[in-house]
Amino acid sequence: MKEDFSRREFIKTAGVITAMAALGDMPSSLFGSELPMATYPEKTGLLVLTSRPPQLETPMHLFTELITPNNALFVRWHLANIPLSVDLNEWRLKVGGNTGKELSLSMADLKKFEKISYTAVLQCAGNGRSFFEPRVPGGQWKNGAMGNITWTGARLRDILNTAGLKPGSVDVMFNGLDSGSLPSVPDFKKSLPVDKTLEEDIMVAYEMNGEPLTMLNGFPARIIVPGWYGTYWVKALSDITVLGKPFEEFWMKPAYRIPDNPCGCIPSGTTQGRTVPINRMTTRSLIITPSPDTTIQKNKPVEIMGVAFSGGYGIRDVIVSTDGGKTWSEARLGQDKGKYSWIQFSHSWRPLKTGKYTLMAKATNSIGDSQPFEKLWNPSGYLLNNVEKTEINVI
Amino acid sequence: MKKNITVIAISIVLSAGLTFAGDMARSITLPDIKVELKAGAGKDKVETLCNICHSTDYITTQPPLSKAQWTANVNKMIKVFGAPIKEEDPGKIIDYLTVQYGSGK
Repeated sequence: MKEDFSRREFIKTAGVITAMAALGDMPSSLFGSELPMATYPEKTGLLVLTSRPPQLETPMHLFTELITPNNALFVRWHLANIPLSVDLNEWRLKVGGNTGKELSLSMADLKKFEKISYTAVLQCAGNGRSFFEPRVPGGQWKNGAMGNITWTGARLRDILNTAGLKPGSVDVMFNGLDSGSLPSVPDFKKSLPVDKTLEEDIMVAYEMNGEPLTMLNGFPARIIVPGWYGTYWVKALSDITVLGKPFEEFWMKPAYRIPDNPCGCIPSGTTQGRTVPINRMTTRSLIITPSPDTTIQKNKPVEIMGVAFSGGYGIRDVIVSTDGGKTWSEARLGQDKGKYSWIQFSHSWRPLKTGKYTLMAKATNSIGDSQPFEKLWNPSGYLLNNVEKTEINVI
Repeated sequence: MKKNITVIAISIVLSAGLTFAGDMARSITLPDIKVELKAGAGKDKVETLCNICHSTDYITTQPPLSKAQWTANVNKMIKVFGAPIKEEDPGKIIDYLTVQYGSGK
């Protein structure tokens, strides 16, 4: 890769040149829709759950496109010291541990591996947590901790095979450039079982939608585990370490665990027993337009549109109801970008009477998994995927 | 009750045609977002100690939690994350959180 000094200097300076100030008068209770909005570097206005480290949610109206723009993708970091500056002259991806040899890959080295690309939904494990009943502590996401991005990078398997896995390898651990403010804070490290890392589609991505990753989404490289929750998609990746024993530090155990049963759920408000690491995403569908509480005209045609996705199995069908679930119609599905992508659905509707209407959508994936009508519950606020209700008024 | 939040957002300006591809170094500056906690006994301790590791919107954006839930959270900060909270202080912090951001349970 050729270096362009003048451009590099420009970028360094540009990052700190311009400031725009906004003064807001916010209610003290920041629940529900009252989160402040701010414009972060390389981002459009996003909802601020927390500022240090940043957790930024995408407003639902930005999900009208098949591919989520880079500047609209949500942001979720765990530790206060996030990488604010990365120089690719210095950055190396180190691969080692229980391997035949150690690798220290520059970005140019990473780009020498076969380039793969696909579209995949990135969704936070806690997306929808604020809708849990009873409420649970943790990041109070509505449904905007998700996005559909075309990722490009190297196959993790190819990198691991170059390093050479030694017999007895059990887990592969990923670490990034972020760290806590105190040495006592457990570093954000995640792991996958070695068999999972050898699947064809696990990626070390260096591009999102054809551009380098934004800093807040993990420049210069991150892990992509399509179909699985974002907690494994370690950002600003610095180390891949193959281990001969299970990796069980804080962010794998006890954090990010779900009840060890088929639904990953327990009766509301109870204590969970045996747990497993959270993994594959549940099937979801979300109506994006009309948005809740919209008022529309009687006898005028309306397109009910939304997105549906599952944990890497693609969507077989989406059904839509305009009468609170009494009757259902099959929605039209949009362009198919593959099993990891979300698919857009739409249903043409013309309300004939005035009054309140409840719109619902229910998706089923290619192996028959669908969405429950009742909300599931677990103490960490994960896996939410119930059929949602969008109330609108017709006048 | 109202509170003021000052949001200073820093944005990167890109000249037309400038692309990120091939750039060797990137840096960003984060906006400075002020969070105002509710007034009450223990507020100073909470601001000083909690801010060591995270902004206090981690508190203000939580749903109303019970005393048991706030206690579990504060204990996690001490035992898991190593928050340097002296022996006499966890009680004051838990009381502040329970009174100001509690569910009444």
